[in-house]
Amino acid sequence: MRPRDTSFLLGVVLACLAALPAAAQVQRAVPGDADQTLRALRDEMERSRERLHIKDRERPYFLEYRLLDLEVRTVTASFGAVVNSATTKNRLMEVDVRVGDYHLDSSNFISEDAFQGFIGSSGGVGIDRDYDSLRQDLWLATDQAYKQALESLARKKGYIRSLATPPTADDFSRISQPAVLLGPLQNADWSSRKWEDEARAASAALRKFPGLHSSRVTYYLVFTTRYLLTSEGTQVRVSRSLAAIEASLDTQADDGMKLHHFYTAYTLRPADLPDVASVSKELERTGTELLALRASSPAPDYAGPVLVEAPAAGALLAQMLGPSVSGARSPLSSASFFERMMEGLGGRSEFSGRMGTKVFPAGVTLLDDPTAREFGGVPLLGGYEIDDEGVPPQKVTLVENGTLRGLLMSRRPGADLTQSNGHARMAIQGDARPLMSNVFFQPGQTQPAAELRAKFLELCKAAGRQWCLIVRKMDNPALALGRQEDFMDLFGGMAAGAATGERVPLLVYRVHVADAREELIRGPRLTGLTLKALRSVTAFGDDARVTHFFQNPAPGFAGTAFAAFGSAQGGIPASMVAPSLLFEELEVRGARGEPRRLPIVPPPPLTE
Amino acid sequence: MTTRTFSHCALALAILGGLTAVSNLALAAQKPKSPAKPAPAAKPAASEEKPAAPPAAAAPSPLISAMQEEMDRNLAVLSQQKPATYFLGYTITEQQVAEVQGSNGALLHSLENRSRWLEVQLRVGSYELDNTRRVGERGPVFGASPGTPVAVDDDPLPLRRAMWLETDRQFRTASEALLRIETGKQIKVETAEGQAPDFSRQKPQVSFSPRAQFTLNRQPWEAKVRLYTSAFRSSPTVLNSIVTMRAEARNQYQVNSEGTRLQFGRLHYRLELYIQSKAPDGMDINRYSNFDWADPAGMPSDARVLERVKGMVREVEALTAAPLVEPFAGPALLTGRAAAVFFHEVFGHRAEGHRQKDINEGQTFARKVGEQIMPEFITIVDDPTERRAGSTDLLGNYPFDDEGVPAERVTLVERGVLKGFLMSRSPLTGFPASNGHGRRQPGFSAVSRQGNLIIRSERAVSNAKLREQLKEEIRKKGKPFGLLIDDLEGGFTFTGRGLPQAFQMLPLVVYRVYADGRPDELVRGVDIAGTPLVSLTKIVATGDTPEVFNGFCGAESGSVPVAAVSPSILISEIEVQKKETATDKPPILPPPHHDPAAKGVKP
Repeated sequence: MRPRDTSFLLGVVLACLAALPAAAQVQRAVPGDADQTLRALRDEMERSRERLHIKDRERPYFLEYRLLDLEVRTVTASFGAVVNSATTKNRLMEVDVRVGDYHLDSSNFISEDAFQGFIGSSGGVGIDRDYDSLRQDLWLATDQAYKQALESLARKKGYIRSLATPPTADDFSRISQPAVLLGPLQNADWSSRKWEDEARAASAALRKFPGLHSSRVTYYLVFTTRYLLTSEGTQVRVSRSLAAIEASLDTQADDGMKLHHFYTAYTLRPADLPDVASVSKELERTGTELLALRASSPAPDYAGPVLVEAPAAGALLAQMLGPSVSGARSPLSSASFFERMMEGLGGRSEFSGRMGTKVFPAGVTLLDDPTAREFGGVPLLGGYEIDDEGVPPQKVTLVENGTLRGLLMSRRPGADLTQSNGHARMAIQGDARPLMSNVFFQPGQTQPAAELRAKFLELCKAAGRQWCLIVRKMDNPALALGRQEDFMDLFGGMAAGAATGERVPLLVYRVHVADAREELIRGPRLTGLTLKALRSVTAFGDDARVTHFFQNPAPGFAGTAFAAFGSAQGGIPASMVAPSLLFEELEVRGARGEPRRLPIVPPPPLTE
Repeated sequence: MTTRTFSHCALALAILGGLTAVSNLALAAQKPKSPAKPAPAAKPAASEEKPAAPPAAAAPSPLISAMQEEMDRNLAVLSQQKPATYFLGYTITEQQVAEVQGSNGALLHSLENRSRWLEVQLRVGSYELDNTRRVGERGPVFGASPGTPVAVDDDPLPLRRAMWLETDRQFRTASEALLRIETGKQIKVETAEGQAPDFSRQKPQVSFSPRAQFTLNRQPWEAKVRLYTSAFRSSPTVLNSIVTMRAEARNQYQVNSEGTRLQFGRLHYRLELYIQSKAPDGMDINRYSNFDWADPAGMPSDARVLERVKGMVREVEALTAAPLVEPFAGPALLTGRAAAVFFHEVFGHRAEGHRQKDINEGQTFARKVGEQIMPEFITIVDDPTERRAGSTDLLGNYPFDDEGVPAERVTLVERGVLKGFLMSRSPLTGFPASNGHGRRQPGFSAVSRQGNLIIRSERAVSNAKLREQLKEEIRKKGKPFGLLIDDLEGGFTFTGRGLPQAFQMLPLVVYRVYADGRPDELVRGVDIAGTPLVSLTKIVATGDTPEVFNGFCGAESGSVPVAAVSPSILISEIEVQKKETATDKPPILPPPHHDPAAKGVKP
């Protein structure tokens, strides 16, 4: 076993991936399965359950073994040259042991002091799928997890004694029947195409744009098999795959403003990724748009009607909904400053405690459905056969006709709901937490897109304006190219506004009322866009579209406004289906900042 | 000496991870100790006389002309700016790495990859005063560690674009730094060391050697890693094992505005064995061993490795059962491999030139040149041009340093008298030029570092005689016993002024040696405590057989390969204390394979 360390976390991409379309049945076990991995998991769990005990201390009441087999093919190219090409195969193990009982146990507690074991309860283990080495690794990790649990429960009880009102909710909800889902093993196969050649050829399309500073095109293909075994009897083995192309481009406007753009393509199977010709074409379009952005004028301050078009609306809703859809409570924390800090990043739920009340405009229904597979012929990425705590997923109606009816639940009870509805998801480490899967934002009444646009222009005219704004694409800083320092600038700027609902669009057009002419502007920020602001949506399009997004697994970020900023390289996939939204009035802050000067030396050529 | 730790930083720089990278900053604090440690290598026969073979000539890579062209284009503009760029240098480090790692009988990973890392060294101002000057308490400018990954394809245009952007970034950082320095300088008291120029003038070098590369079928390596880690499982005392086999071909391409154009590379193979165990009271007992070789034919045979595996198992079994050491001050004999680590830590780091210049550092030797600092029978050189000691390849061998200066053999101590320092291109008063010791891990700025530190003695006796002398010292001092330190883990050398001028190294294998004929007795939990300068003066004699320590040394400029060669040494007095004990007790259940009641395993 190799203990987890930072470099390992950096190097190994943690993914929680979309289920393969071929769904297996829950409660289906393969008789006579010869999987040595399963045998080792079962045997060591049995030994631990029967005999792992320190005299005069609590016995474990719950044990959980988790393995993630991760095979990744990554190729990154820039302007026609391969920068990095790697194939990796890893197996990550995580062991959880709980002491106490379902009401009060060793989980859900954050303390400044942590157990200092010699090897820890998680890490990389053997990829040979053999029995012997896994037994050895599980043995050590279980031992460490048990000792950790004993310490954690003791500290937690001490902390609870210091509280005026101890928590009353249970720590862990029971399940009626443990799931057994042993799906077929799927082996990684990326031989269908020559990925290096494709990355090289596709990225070469951007050589036509000497105005770009840098660019990067990454092909990322991953196969996973996830094992979950618990002392309650849950047994899960599911194989999944995901394929992505993520490209980022950047440049600087003449006044120094840093600008970027990105292109993404996501599919469940590598073979389904678009071919070189279509990727090249899309990259050329993206390059053209970025150069147009560079030539555009800086956004002025604005208040008035805003039309957020369908694909952008999905990305916007993902950012706004992230902090609110989870019904699990936060862990107890002896260092609550961390939570306060995260609330500052837009991590406060707007749904908590409002069950049965009006949260959205009348007629709006919001569903989260992990069992959905496609929308209008477009495959959805957020589905799964079983959640990461081994609970079969349920379709959840979050909002019905504007009224809050439900929340996404893991096995961690919350103030409003106590039972899991199968929405626990995780990267490899840490707690499974309720996250979005396939979300459907369904208005009661819709209008054809053309009518919506006409109505938008009417509103604009009525407001006495010469022009109004259309948002066509939202930004995702996780996909922006750039060095760490640039990223920190970007992140710092966004963090400051996250709690008050500041959102960053990428493509915003000024539409002139007189002739409907569209003119790109750069650098605006939408402000005050919390869920409450959806009440100012005056009309919805009938043009619902699918937007794929990846929820950021970074600790802390998962429940904040930044949760929607992820990448296929580590993010937890989800899909949002939403139509265009016409806001009667939004405030938009114009371009700000202290732009950097342009490079002093003119750029070198990109073509011979 | 810390090891490997810094390599994680390089990884972090290499992977632009967006939000994920940010979160990892927060995680850095939780990082457990790295399993890889520096380690002694096999005992060679004495021979340090073979001169380094001159590198064979080869045609320059197409990278060189692309780098030259883009450098000229940038320099033409940037040398005319205010402040003016007076030096511009580019280095591309190309790494081909194959690694097979396993644990407890199975593979953890098996991979091969290639990468290139571009660094830009840009200086504004003048050789006398430039943007790298450290003024007062100000540390090095963050973000000044220059670099970016570049394409592994030999396509000149994408490379030139990356060079252009990185150069601009470096120019901006350098201009801002110089402005701050010029402002800050007026209010700071100048020290003698602070009068030295910031950059040395060096003769340009032009040399092109063939590209180092390898072709490797990893399957036999995978079988070996499984075999070695399975062998460790035979002992219930070994809780965890990690074995790593690694091949690395590293090529450097350098051009600079002074006219240097270099292309050189080296091949390095390493096998590392690491095991973890625990004494009954919870003390961590770890053993580490490594083999290094430069030619594929130098790979150790299975028989030799398995012999080492057995030795390590015997050692952990004995150590877990050994009594704890009590605080003690008295004579000690360090075997060659332990002495090599001792010199590297206690002397080598303090002979690094840049430390004499930095007022945050202890400046241990700054004013001692020409003074007797250790017994007059000791002479110490650092010679990166040595390729081997006996049959052992030395890891600190290189033709040019990372600033493009040819490696030189430097006499640091001659007959006990301090003669000089390891120099990068950062001059000291009285030491105006580099002697080819400016080194760094890609992603860090070069500072003066050790290469092959070689200790010679004029008072050498046979190892048997040295042991007799230890017993005489014990009797002379009226001590109940003395110590035999057989293996030292490089600890951390505290060279900062805010910390005590003491060194801590972890002696891993230590015996009590009795003068009355009782057998040696293994003890555990030993920490050395003491003052470095004092301990250097207390060396009374040495053995006659040099031994080699090969390892990776981590410091400000990252992790660099080094070697130290020393005979065993007898110290008249060394002070030891008890090591801190871990609180985590050994596992509750026995290992599955040694548990008669466990189901499914063959005992």
